Amino acid sequence: MTTITYPLSRIEGHARVVIDIHDNEVFRADFQAMEMRGFSHYVRGVPAEQITVIVPRICGVCSTAHQVASVKALEDTFGVTPPPLAQEIREVLLLGQLIQNQATSLFIFTMPDRTNASSLFELSQTESARAREFSLAQMALRIRKIGTDLISLAGGQFIHPIKTVIGGVTSGIPREKADKMIHTIEELLPVAVEMVDIYWDMSMEMGDRIGSWGDDEPAHYLASTGANDYRLNSQRLRVMLPDGTEAPSFDPHDFANYLQISESEYSYAGISSYMGSVVRANSLARINLSESLGTPIADAYRKRFVQTFGKPAHAIMFFDICRGIELVYALEKARQMLECDLEHGETEVGYSPKDGVGYGLVEAPRGPLIHHYEVEDGLIKSADFVIPTVHNMLAIRRALTVVAKRYVSQDGISSELERAVGRVVRAFDPCIACATK
Amino acid sequence: MEPSNDLPKFAVLQLSGCSGCEVSLLNSEEWISNFQLVYMPLVVTSNKIPDDVEVLLVTGGVRTDEDIHNLRKGRSRAKKLIAVGTCALSGGVAQFKDDHIASEAFRQASHRLRMPDMLPHAYPIDRFVDVDLYLPGCPPTPELFMTALKDPEGAKIPAIVCQECGRQKLNDMRPTAITGTRSGVVLPDICLINQGYVCVGTSTRGGCGALCTRPGHACVGCRGPANPYLNKEPKFVIDNLRRVFTRMTDIPEEEINAALESPWLSLFLDQFTDYTQDTELPTRTKEKML
Ligand code: SF4
Ligand code: SF4
Repeated sequence: MTTITYPLSRIEGHARVVIDIHDNEVFRADFQAMEMRGFSHYVRGVPAEQITVIVPRICGVCSTAHQVASVKALEDTFGVTPPPLAQEIREVLLLGQLIQNQATSLFIFTMPDRTNASSLFELSQTESARAREFSLAQMALRIRKIGTDLISLAGGQFIHPIKTVIGGVTSGIPREKADKMIHTIEELLPVAVEMVDIYWDMSMEMGDRIGSWGDDEPAHYLASTGANDYRLNSQRLRVMLPDGTEAPSFDPHDFANYLQISESEYSYAGISSYMGSVVRANSLARINLSESLGTPIADAYRKRFVQTFGKPAHAIMFFDICRGIELVYALEKARQMLECDLEHGETEVGYSPKDGVGYGLVEAPRGPLIHHYEVEDGLIKSADFVIPTVHNMLAIRRALTVVAKRYVSQDGISSELERAVGRVVRAFDPCIACATK
Repeated sequence: MEPSNDLPKFAVLQLSGCSGCEVSLLNSEEWISNFQLVYMPLVVTSNKIPDDVEVLLVTGGVRTDEDIHNLRKGRSRAKKLIAVGTCALSGGVAQFKDDHIASEAFRQASHRLRMPDMLPHAYPIDRFVDVDLYLPGCPPTPELFMTALKDPEGAKIPAIVCQECGRQKLNDMRPTAITGTRSGVVLPDICLINQGYVCVGTSTRGGCGALCTRPGHACVGCRGPANPYLNKEPKFVIDNLRRVFTRMTDIPEEEINAALESPWLSLFLDQFTDYTQDTELPTRTKEKML
């Protein structure tokens, strides 16, 4: 038996792919998370109200989603309903995170796969190529920065944000700052659209070159955004079956009846299934489960996507394309929301802590994220984090097996395999820190 | 400056952390025109740190045996090593509530096939290698990153967070209980202690721009102790905070003490001071602390 190991870069955290090959036949392909964060152990016994400062540190890439999910779980436990204005500000916050994340995945993580570079910041030897690469990198970072600036505006700071608190948010968004942000978005939206177009074309060329868009079998899809309302500060989970029909939606309280989560002896990350089936979360799941995003440019992209690739679309590389659509959506939507008054009105309500059980759901960039706490004597008795990347684990493994089979033949192992493995994993944009919470 | 291949090379080695430090670094666009990034697995595909690196930034704490190996290898290839973020300085959140139950959970989970072994604790990096500069913060702001890369000697770091906060400490507003956010309003411009929050800005190293306190969240001390408390036991910081709360509020002493010992604060307070109990660690001087 031959074992090939590919350490992975341009993803969040430490992970690798291991493929076992025997007699030119792929025996198994695994995706291994190489670290363990262990937050469910640390937070046991912590005063419940303090957990919202601790759990964002599960992951600096997704800290916003963790912070909001954590606050929502305690609001559920304590029976508090934040005022509408706070809900709007949280949505702006989560849009910021979507922009940051999708821009990072598109331009920093996966664009180099399309240009065969080692990174977005690698510069060629020739001067003209260098100038173009440099400006692409600058544009990419600038678009990404709108996301982090939005998080700062709505969340106080762009990593481990603090403005979302039990009962609401600590302060509104002043008109002057909102206007400045709108101005930046208006200036950079056309740039983002241009970048997404470039990315889309590059992806088509790559698909033609390889002769495939990632020919894995159809899967189930899981998202908590609506069919006509793409709200990330979400309430219920939705599932699409491989044939495109929708299964009944469910409340985060009932997640354990639908999602089975288990440990793996080959990885520090867990694995989940939807009632025994392979399920996929993240951008493609949300787009498959949507009828309209509600903003003009993104809807035009969505229409083009559905017309070109069908609904549901299943090929692996569509995750990346869908991230582009979502980037544009989040920019448009943030602009719309900032035009409303987010400054005046009640931003938070008082509360009294209570013992009990609570669930907090948000649609993180990688899919539905649930925090589930049990509070006893004001302390956290147990904490469970239901992580989007974990939902994708079976799907990643299956896709890796498909790609390994494609590049291992009677002629041996193709040199394309390493690149293909990277492309497949990056399409799912896994987050290892979260997956090993 | 024009993009070029002759710029000084820098690398980022990520041990066990959350990637927040890396994400923060990416936000300071400036480095693309001042440095050449040669190694940072989060954004660059390259399997090893080249051996002519000018500056190596290390993020995250030491949690696995592989971390120790990578850290020592990295040190040998870099002229200058900067410890970045609370995790690298202290072991980080991974060290939080590092009791035997947590250690046991790690030990049990650690036996997996072909996986690096987890260490029983999370360690600061200077337990294993020499560090030239410390950059605390969880994470450090993009501005602090640029200062660390470009001009750490010339940096003027405000002594404590209060200096950057802009909220006013009032003499005639004395809370009688710690209310935290429970009351439902944060008044603008007034010190959070006056409003019954446990804010530790008075003993926390400045430089962050008071990002938390300005919009109304109490400082949790992520940049660690201000210079007078460097290398001191946690007691020194706690005593100072107790004095501040006794002077500014009418909150009963037991309530103050309980609040100051809460895990929320120990997330950072203990982290930075705990190392005084670990004799294998070098003393960190204020000259090396940004
Ligand atoms: S110091 Fe904070 S931001 Fe940096 S890796 Fe550790 S937890 Fe993440
Ligand atoms: S104690 Fe906190 S709120 Fe008060 S001035 Fe200092 S940093 Fe600001």
